[in-house]
Amino acid sequence: MEYYAQLLLNGIIAGSIYALFAVGLTMVYGVFRFINFAHGELIAWGAYLALFFTRSPFYLPIYFAALPALLITALIGLAQDRFVFEPLRHGNRITLLIASIGLSYFLRNAIRLIWGSDLQTYGFMPTRGIDLAGLSITSAQITMMAAAILFLGILYIILAHTMLGKSLRAVADNMTLAQIMGITIKKVSLAVWVLASFFSAVGGVLLAVDTNLEPMMGLTNLLKAFAAVLLGGAGNVWGALLGGLIIGVAENLSVAFISPGYKDFISFALIILMLLFRPKGIFGILGGVR
Amino acid sequence: MDYLLHIFIVSLIYAIFAMSLNLELGFTGLYNFGHVAFFGIGAYTSALLSLAGHPVTLGMVCSMIVSGGMGALLAIPALRLTGDYFGIATLSFGEITRLFFLNERWLTKGPMGLPGIPRPTWIGEGVAGLPWFLIFCMLLTLVVFILTRHLTRSPFGRALKVVREDEYVAQALGKNALSFKIRAVTVGSILAGLAGSLWAHYISYISPADFTLTETILVLLCVVLGGRGTNWGPILGAFVIIFFQEIIRFLPIPADFDRFVAPIQGMVYGAVLIILMLKRPEGLLQEYKE
Repeated sequence: MEYYAQLLLNGIIAGSIYALFAVGLTMVYGVFRFINFAHGELIAWGAYLALFFTRSPFYLPIYFAALPALLITALIGLAQDRFVFEPLRHGNRITLLIASIGLSYFLRNAIRLIWGSDLQTYGFMPTRGIDLAGLSITSAQITMMAAAILFLGILYIILAHTMLGKSLRAVADNMTLAQIMGITIKKVSLAVWVLASFFSAVGGVLLAVDTNLEPMMGLTNLLKAFAAVLLGGAGNVWGALLGGLIIGVAENLSVAFISPGYKDFISFALIILMLLFRPKGIFGILGGVR
Repeated sequence: MDYLLHIFIVSLIYAIFAMSLNLELGFTGLYNFGHVAFFGIGAYTSALLSLAGHPVTLGMVCSMIVSGGMGALLAIPALRLTGDYFGIATLSFGEITRLFFLNERWLTKGPMGLPGIPRPTWIGEGVAGLPWFLIFCMLLTLVVFILTRHLTRSPFGRALKVVREDEYVAQALGKNALSFKIRAVTVGSILAGLAGSLWAHYISYISPADFTLTETILVLLCVVLGGRGTNWGPILGAFVIIFFQEIIRFLPIPADFDRFVAPIQGMVYGAVLIILMLKRPEGLLQEYKE
């Protein structure tokens, strides 16, 4: 029994990270109606940039190294939009998607060029877990949970209680109408890209604290973010959050039944099942709770 | 001289692979981002059968059947939704197929791969067989070219183009868009399986590392560069890309920089995809539109 409780706990921790990846992806979809295949690379760039600032000549501790990393990732996100997606937004959808997959390949190989293809870590010593009512949790995992809750809380305040959040929801609902009502699309699009890159980078750093860094981490986690987005219904931020948690828990519980090599298979199976039975997400019945 | 033969053979195999993707991407407008999966399934099917002592021809036929069957199986759920979702489902299918090759050691020997895949007996092994293998590939490319040209010029092909341009128009004209798309993916997968089995018998060694997103990007680039929705485009694209890739090997690159070559190549591919989409989305050859 404790074994399953432990898996559940691990799943919630992993899931809160996936939620961070998924909210950005779903926000971009909600506003621009396209799926950014380069979203995963923002995750990887965030993690690698933090690595960059923990090493020579900076030697910053990870919490401080994360700050410039987040800023630069946000700039990459803005550059993506400015140079690739914005010029293509009104053209053919297929050109937009091919450009986004080309962009993801470009960014991934840039990582390989700068940091190499080998596994890397931030260099923390693995610590023994703290005993918590029979369950083991490491201090890194506690930090991850706390950070995920903090950032998702910030997101909640932005979306639910600020003018920016309101205009974001208005644009997601109907871009033309929002423009007529005097909402500047430029401002909203800026906010969306900054938020999306910021949250992916936070997630990337947190994930890398617990596991490791490798150039493929963007793609692997992009698939999980996709699954989470589909579970929650594309464009639905809170759905994506919950979707991320479900993916994390399902993945970790699956270890008890199937070979760990197939952990990533869970998100794929969920993607196919959702596409088959509930294309609008589990909240589709409520007409999408935005 | 032998090296030139090698480049020609690889180009022809990629031409078949690209033509199969073009059927989906160019003619039907389906963004298949996991096409390499069918190439891999074809390669493994053919390799396993011929390594078990069956004739190569049987292996090649079976690889087409298995790939086509898998294509249909994926297409039926994945195509119930339009657009971006198909991209997600195929991208994850590509990754999952690679995981399968990697994890099912009893069948695929996992990361070790399958060495010593025989060529058809009448071709002969080693360098002496190269001219014959080239002729074999040329014949098959010709067959596939004539087949796809015939297919795309037939009423079936015109219906595919209508589905691509506007699904609702197709449906209003009494064409079942879903069924057309499933058939397009099935034929595309059959041909990708053929290309994969040719690859396996030519290279004689396959491993999961041969069937990654890199190959998907490569074949996508062949189609997009040559010209989507044209019959000659994928062939032209395949020759340009493969020659470019092989010529790099002759550049005088200092040994210290060796590890930078592959990432830079990847960045170039990604950048070319983006620039093509921004500046010349139709590719080198433009589709003729009446």
